[in-house]
Formats: sequence, C-alpha cells, structure tokens
Amino acid sequence: MHNNPQETERLISDPVPGITAEPHDDNLRYFKVSIEGPEQSPYEKGIFQLELYLPDDYPMEAPKVRFLTKIYHPNIDRLGRICLDILKTNWSPALQIRTVLLSVQALLASPNPNDPLANDVAEDWIKNEEGAKNTAREWTLLYAKKE
Amino acid sequence: MSSYHEEHNTSPHTQSNPQGRREIRSEFRNLYEQLTPTDPTLISLLASLLPPELQEEWGKKSNEGCSQAFIDSLPRVPKDKIPNDLCSICFENFREDEYPLVIELPHCSHKFDLQCISVWLSSNSTCPVCRDKVNHNAKLDIDTTEAELEEDWGMYG
Repeated sequence: MHNNPQETERLISDPVPGITAEPHDDNLRYFKVSIEGPEQSPYEKGIFQLELYLPDDYPMEAPKVRFLTKIYHPNIDRLGRICLDILKTNWSPALQIRTVLLSVQALLASPNPNDPLANDVAEDWIKNEEGAKNTAREWTLLYAKKE
Repeated sequence: MSSYHEEHNTSPHTQSNPQGRREIRSEFRNLYEQLTPTDPTLISLLASLLPPELQEEWGKKSNEGCSQAFIDSLPRVPKDKIPNDLCSICFENFREDEYPLVIELPHCSHKFDLQCISVWLSSNSTCPVCRDKVNHNAKLDIDTTEAELEEDWGMYG
C-alpha cells in the first residue's frame, strides 16, 4: 500500500537540512537517524543519534522513534523515549518519516516542561530554567559529539 | 483495638455513605445526560478528571473507527474529475492507477484512494489531512449515481 521504497528514496535524494535517515542494509524498516541540535538551543552543535522503526501497519500506525544519544530534555526520558503527540494519539497517515523527524528537531528547539516524560528533568526545567539549560549544554558536549 | 478505618487510614465518611454516594452518582448522571455526546470541550474536561492511564484508554475509545457502511457510502470521484494529484496516504498519483477508485470525504472534500482511506477509517474517524472528524454518524445523502452512471457508460458504451 504505502510506497515505502519511494519515501526512502526521497529522504536520501532530497534530505532535510540537519537530519539524516538511512535504512539499515538488512532491514528496510529500520532507519539509523541523526539530528543536529538546533541553533540557539542548548543542543546546538550536538549530533544526536536516533533509531526509527516502521511498524508493519505503517502508515496507519506511527513510526517508533527513540533517542540513542543521552540527552537532557523534559520530553525525552532516560531510555530515549519521546513524548510527542504525533507519535501517539495525533498520528495521521498523511505524515511521513520526514515530518516526524522535523517535529523531533522542533521539540529540541522548544522543550515543553508542562507535558513532561522525564519528570525530574521537567521539574528542574520549571524551577531553574537557566541551570537546566546549562545541564543540557553539558550533556550535549559530553554525549552528542560528532563521530 | 483500632478500627478498620484507622488501620487503613481512610475516613468512614467516604467509605460507607451509600446515601451520599447515590446522590453524587445521580448528579453525575444528570450532568452526563445533559451533555451532547459530541461536545468536545465537556468531554475533554471530564476526561481531564481521570488519571492518566484511564485518559489514554478513554482517548482510544473516543477515537473508534467508522462503520463499514459509512466507508462504503463515501462518495466516489468520477473518473474524469480525478485530480492530477497524489494520495496523501500512499503518495501515488491517483491517475497512475489504471482503475482508480478515489473518494472524497463529505465534510472537508479531501480526496484519497478508497483502498488507503478505508484502512485508516476502520480504526479512526478523522481526516488524515485536516484531522476534522469525518462525521460518521450523519446520514449521507450524496448523489453518487452520476459517478456510477459514467462508469457504466465506460463499460458498455
């Protein structure tokens, strides 16, 4: 039904700036993803590795996306799981891998501590935003290095 | 000896007051019955009173799919009016299909391959493009005879 090879082809031939997504050789449903931290965010200059998996029911079901790189962010927990509405209840089959990854990048640019997944981080973010951003910057330097 | 309620750190008032509970229940029932079942603000207000786990379940339930009868009744786009455009679900051009079956959602006029949209609507009730409810409770009264006629002409003409 969904022309997955075509979507993959477009991802490679017409990439989104700051985002790469390459299908795995053995499994075309599994993508190795990297996202550059947005400028003027605490994640600036970091390169974050993610994994993206297209379930059998894709595009009727959202792709599964997870951060592999450690990140200090109120909507991303220590297992790398992401709290993003379009990945859960607001999924639509008109969305694509590309739009999902753009939304993840946008989430890095504007964290939302009022809808947290990592409660301790969100609490820190609300109580002491500058301190939390500093921690996020430190973690970016430590873990999100260019390969 | 301590009482049951002391041991369990509960107040006897909330536990065993059938009279009060009945009143609360009937008040809730009255409130509920006053609601139009499609009033989204009130429903989300009520849903916000639920614990998160239940909210998720509630969300799933209110997101039930459309009936097969509704899906079958979606108006077909006549062959000569099929746009030179991509289906937003499979990203294939409608016209590239030798025998295109394209439907238009009655509420928002967004067009999809019947095959694609029927899978989505069997477990959801929103338009994939604009997220509007596709209004599957309303009775459809759309004239599809023209589309069928034209197809017939193609076949026998």
